[in-house]
Amino acid sequence: MAAANEPGSSKSSNGEEKEKDETMLECNICLDAARDAVVSMCGHLFCWPCLHQWLETRPNRQVCPVCKAAISKEKVVPLYGRGSTKQEDPRNKVPPRPPGQRSEPENNSGFPGFGFGDGGFHMSFGIGAFPFGFFTSTFNFGEPRPSAAPRGTPQFEEEQFLSKVFLWVAVLFICWLLMA
Amino acid sequence: MANIAAQRIKREFKEVIKSEEVAKCAIKVELVNDNYTELKGEIAGPPETPYEGGTFVLEIKVPETYPFNPPKVRFITKIWHPNISSVTGAICLDILKDQWAAAMTLRTVLLSLQALLAAAEPDDPQDAVVAKQFKENQDMFRQTARHWTFVYAGGPHKNSDFELKIRRLTDMGIEDHQARVALSSYNWDLERATEQLFS
Ligand SMILES: [Zn+2]
Ligand SMILES: [Zn+2]
Repeated sequence: MAAANEPGSSKSSNGEEKEKDETMLECNICLDAARDAVVSMCGHLFCWPCLHQWLETRPNRQVCPVCKAAISKEKVVPLYGRGSTKQEDPRNKVPPRPPGQRSEPENNSGFPGFGFGDGGFHMSFGIGAFPFGFFTSTFNFGEPRPSAAPRGTPQFEEEQFLSKVFLWVAVLFICWLLMA
Repeated sequence: MANIAAQRIKREFKEVIKSEEVAKCAIKVELVNDNYTELKGEIAGPPETPYEGGTFVLEIKVPETYPFNPPKVRFITKIWHPNISSVTGAICLDILKDQWAAAMTLRTVLLSLQALLAAAEPDDPQDAVVAKQFKENQDMFRQTARHWTFVYAGGPHKNSDFELKIRRLTDMGIEDHQARVALSSYNWDLERATEQLFS
């Protein structure tokens, strides 16, 4: 059917051709000029709000509304025309994404054994990697280990004390090395 | 959302009116009410089918969620076809159900229905009786479909033999359409149709 229509369109007058050019920028769903335009991998143009609603309507059958190729939210390309002030990804703004559907990729630090690390409980890491850190980190449940405790707090004094102790231990160690 | 639906129907309406199929009188769309929620469609029976020469009227209801969900379409004109109910006019066509795509329009729906008239799918029937006849007695099916087209859709082919048999039943007090359905269902076997009607 589409093939049969082809010869006729080439004969059309200038006015009709102009109209055809304009229709190329129309959203395939609302048939209006595409706002927050996105293009699918199969090359079909939509308003992001329109495409989003289509994908929400059929969560189990995510296909292009035009050619029925497989599509997904993550694989559409936003289009930015010249002079658009905010070059923000339309996918981030218009329809707020439903919460809880998309889980962030896990930040795997390469210590699969130290599973407590992300929960704010730093003791296990402290014991494994840096034994001296154990003393300070035990007081820091629930927050990342600060580089130094605020001056004047009991914790600050304790840290000062400990560092003096370690200094003396180091001095004694060096002396022992020299004497041996 | 009703906004999108109405806006789109308005645009589509213009598209259909300008289309070359309308120029060839193959399809037609009319508004039923002002808020674009209901339309009346019309398709011409495709050539070289038992529906040739007939005009088939369709009821088109546009849901609030259109075009994300398909329009609800049904034949108002009675028709003898495996994928269309001879009783309710309900249509079994994938694009009006799970194969709907938001880029489809009234025009593509009407053209698909026209294509359905030209190529029935008896293995996915809406009307089991018609589908059985279609598979088992193709010639009887064609004659019956042509007769229904003549009676209900203004088709050109009169069948005097069929009409005589219907007259026999209406003379016994059976309603015209009911007699036609019974005879059509029993391959125009008057005896069996009578048996079924009076049992
Ligand atoms: Zn749109
Ligand atoms: Zn596509």
